[in-house]
Amino acid sequence: MFNRGTCGSAEHVSRRGFLSGATTGAVSALGFSGMTKVAGANELRSQQKRVVLFWLAGGVSQLETWDPKPGTDTGGPFLDIPTSVPGVNVCELLPYTARQMHHLAVVRGVNTKVNDHGKGAYFMQTGHPQTPGFEFPYLGSALSSLLVRPDNPLPGYVCIGGGGSAKESSFLGPRFVPVAVADKPPANMRIADGLTAEEDARRRELRARIGDRFAKGRRAATTEVYDESFDQAAALIAQRDVFDFTGIPDSEVDRYGGGEFARHCLMARQLVEAGSTFTKVTHRNYDTHSENFNFHVEQLGEFDQPFATFVADLADRGLLEHTLVVVMCEFGRTPRINQKMGRDHWGTAWSVALGGMGIQGGAVVGATNANGTKVVDREVHGGHLFHTYYRAVGLDPTADFVHDGRPFTKAKAGSEAIEEILA
Amino acid sequence: MSDRSNRTLALFAAAAALLATPLAGRSEEPLHQAIDRLVAARTPGYAAKAAPVADDAEFLRRVTLDLTGTIPTVERTRAFLADDAPDKRTRLIDELLASPEHERHLAQQLDVQLMQRRRAAKVKAAEWESFLLTATQSNTPWDELVRDVLAADGLDKERRGPARFYLDRDGDVNTITRDVSALFLGANIECAQCHDHPEVADYTIDDYYGLSAFFVRSFVFTDPKTKLAVYAEKAEGEVTFKSVFVEDAKDSSTPPHLPGEKPIPDPELEKGKEYKVKPAKNVRPVPVYSRREQLPARLAAAENERFRRAAANRFWAMMLGRGIVHPIDADHSDNPPSHPELLDLLAAEFAAHDFDVRWLLREIALSETYQRGSRLPESVTDPLPESAFAQALLKPLSPEQFGRSLLEATGVTEATRAAERAAVQKELAAKKTELGEVEFARAVEKRVHAKLKGNETRFVSLFAAAAGEADPDFEATVDQAMFLMNDNAVLGRLQPSGQNLLARLVGLDGQSDEIAAELYLAVLARRPTDEEVADVRDYLGDATGEVRHARLRQLAWALLASAEFRFVH
Repeated sequence: MFNRGTCGSAEHVSRRGFLSGATTGAVSALGFSGMTKVAGANELRSQQKRVVLFWLAGGVSQLETWDPKPGTDTGGPFLDIPTSVPGVNVCELLPYTARQMHHLAVVRGVNTKVNDHGKGAYFMQTGHPQTPGFEFPYLGSALSSLLVRPDNPLPGYVCIGGGGSAKESSFLGPRFVPVAVADKPPANMRIADGLTAEEDARRRELRARIGDRFAKGRRAATTEVYDESFDQAAALIAQRDVFDFTGIPDSEVDRYGGGEFARHCLMARQLVEAGSTFTKVTHRNYDTHSENFNFHVEQLGEFDQPFATFVADLADRGLLEHTLVVVMCEFGRTPRINQKMGRDHWGTAWSVALGGMGIQGGAVVGATNANGTKVVDREVHGGHLFHTYYRAVGLDPTADFVHDGRPFTKAKAGSEAIEEILA
Repeated sequence: MSDRSNRTLALFAAAAALLATPLAGRSEEPLHQAIDRLVAARTPGYAAKAAPVADDAEFLRRVTLDLTGTIPTVERTRAFLADDAPDKRTRLIDELLASPEHERHLAQQLDVQLMQRRRAAKVKAAEWESFLLTATQSNTPWDELVRDVLAADGLDKERRGPARFYLDRDGDVNTITRDVSALFLGANIECAQCHDHPEVADYTIDDYYGLSAFFVRSFVFTDPKTKLAVYAEKAEGEVTFKSVFVEDAKDSSTPPHLPGEKPIPDPELEKGKEYKVKPAKNVRPVPVYSRREQLPARLAAAENERFRRAAANRFWAMMLGRGIVHPIDADHSDNPPSHPELLDLLAAEFAAHDFDVRWLLREIALSETYQRGSRLPESVTDPLPESAFAQALLKPLSPEQFGRSLLEATGVTEATRAAERAAVQKELAAKKTELGEVEFARAVEKRVHAKLKGNETRFVSLFAAAAGEADPDFEATVDQAMFLMNDNAVLGRLQPSGQNLLARLVGLDGQSDEIAAELYLAVLARRPTDEEVADVRDYLGDATGEVRHARLRQLAWALLASAEFRFVH
């Protein structure tokens, strides 16, 4: 018998049902009644658990990063270099990151068996293989829904360097859809022209009073959701500076190595410092079917210093212990070098790096064979990794999401956390 | 046997079935009365726990939004509240159903339901919209409309509209199978694509592939010269499937059939004679026998029980905010209807009236069930569940209703209406022609719609589901709230100009009870209570000049952004 657990739609649930149910549930579960009394930033800083996902879109090569195989038929032209962790080497294209390895753990035995961008991205970000007719929530929506503190007015899931899709939150509803940020806050995230803060509060108070009268004797669940959205908006407007990145000084961008990705890492740092729950930073262009080596010099040249400086800054500021950092993508790249000096899609034996909250810095788990063509020790897939993320931030991955009275597994059943790298 | 006589037979059978129930002898009972009787009979204690019929203001706002997609004008509200004729509700329903705004609104609802806001790519949006609008203007029977959609291939350049259903689903067999079943058979059988439905015995993997076998040979063909896409078909191609639940399952196949019905075998054709036009590069093949052609008359037919029920339930849910089978695409034995007899009756009567949509909407609107208040009396401490239809449910305004109602409330629409009415009259005078009442009203509405529809775009982008998704029941996001609080698309409507709402309020110097009345009638379509008049007085205080104007704007905003405005109640 096929495992029914993997078809999420045990009873067919239309997407409409998901959204409606989730909206009411998700928003009221936040208890936004105390919204006007937003906790001070310092309190948030110390209590809000955070996650930052670096998504290397296209699929970074494990051989040019975390699992180098110099001097083999598949290794390519680059050498490996020692890191801040004795005995752990990485590719020479990551000199800055190498100095931060004591904050990072590497999982070298990832085998997802998926070589397709869409399916790989889905498995890695939901912890489940793709199933027709059902959408599991993405990591950003899932973890932010579970971690966001009730008094935190910031969106749960923020994207830098590319937006996500509203579908990512699935049945968790609109509170946890990815919100893309740019340099400046969105146009309406401010009090309208010609209104003082006092007038704005007064008109909202009147609005709420009309709503309260209306709700009396009526089915109020939906009107509550509506009213809460205004309180949330007001609280968010009060925090608009968190989304204003125009003040990041050039000197900081330079210290991060310069360029767009450096800026994005600084934006992420600002969000983490403000207590934003889940931040996804996308760095694109890793799909190197041709000229893999030239491209990786360029790509990792952009990635290495900003990422390493970000990790070091978080550690220096005492934030890394509250922040899980994950570096992953949809799959790795083939050990075999093709005729165009490229590497192709490869879900069979590749690596993921993570660090910070709940992770044992410097740990390495799993291994591939001498030329990286297969996993020879501690094979894991997206499900194991999902269990690990949950455990790292102190959540129980085996406790189901319950939606409409039905359980939905958080991470693929039959897999478990990678204990060796948990702190 | 003709379509018509088929239908008569089926109806005879359906009516006979009903007569076997306690309905016997009630054949003269109008449908709206039967609705009330069956709703009340289904739930013990219904009468004591049901909300009384809504007051005039609540009824007026609800039925105007439901039938025409916008709130009533201040003029209509004042007139309706002042009218004491006993039949004024019936007259109102008839007036609304005869209005071009109703034709537009119904067409738009059908558009969203059938296309789920997909981008118009292969068929122009205007062609599709005009197909739907023509249908609602002539009150095309629902079965006929569905057959038109299911039979369309886009070959006739003058009638490309209905082909949008298939073509803008890219001819994708799984999407089309899923949507045809969910929309027209009330059965979301998507799960059965991979296995028999684990908990819904009625939906089997064979049903899924039986339906998809009608479409499996069809594909989108784009003419290399004209670049026009049409839905073409081949003479070969079978569905193959095996359940993922059954280990080592062998591939199965089935000829086309409706769920639960007998397969329709392909005719035996001599080898090499399967085509009228043989497939070749850049040539649209034409098979001798078309599987797809077998579908429309079989599916959209009075004798197809699933179709009748899904059709009646769809319009019921549009009006009541909840299906008798709920959700409306889950009509199966494990999810029984809340009121089985009512659904059977609605389905049979809808079919017996040749699927006359306007008739059905009218009967529903006339029922007390539809007209109940949304507020329960204080004496009811343990309300009945939503499925009892004992109280009007709150229905969130659709994005279009929201955008339009905002313009109506602030006086933008009325000003546009006056201008466009004058423009049409001027045009007619210049051409020395006249138009009948209906044609004139349509001409004006068409121009008003064209002028104002741009305003709905922002609402759609913020409040609607993503393309290809059904609109959610209700969600409220921070983005939406920030838009309503601070965007010029909302606040810009609150600058005094001409005879708009703010200009009228500014004109009512000093009279807070008159100001409150004007505000509440224009925005919430009702008179304010004493408490609310006091609120307005307090809010304005003794401010004068610009400060007073600013407070008037804030007052109007508070009403527009209130939950009372956000819902049909």
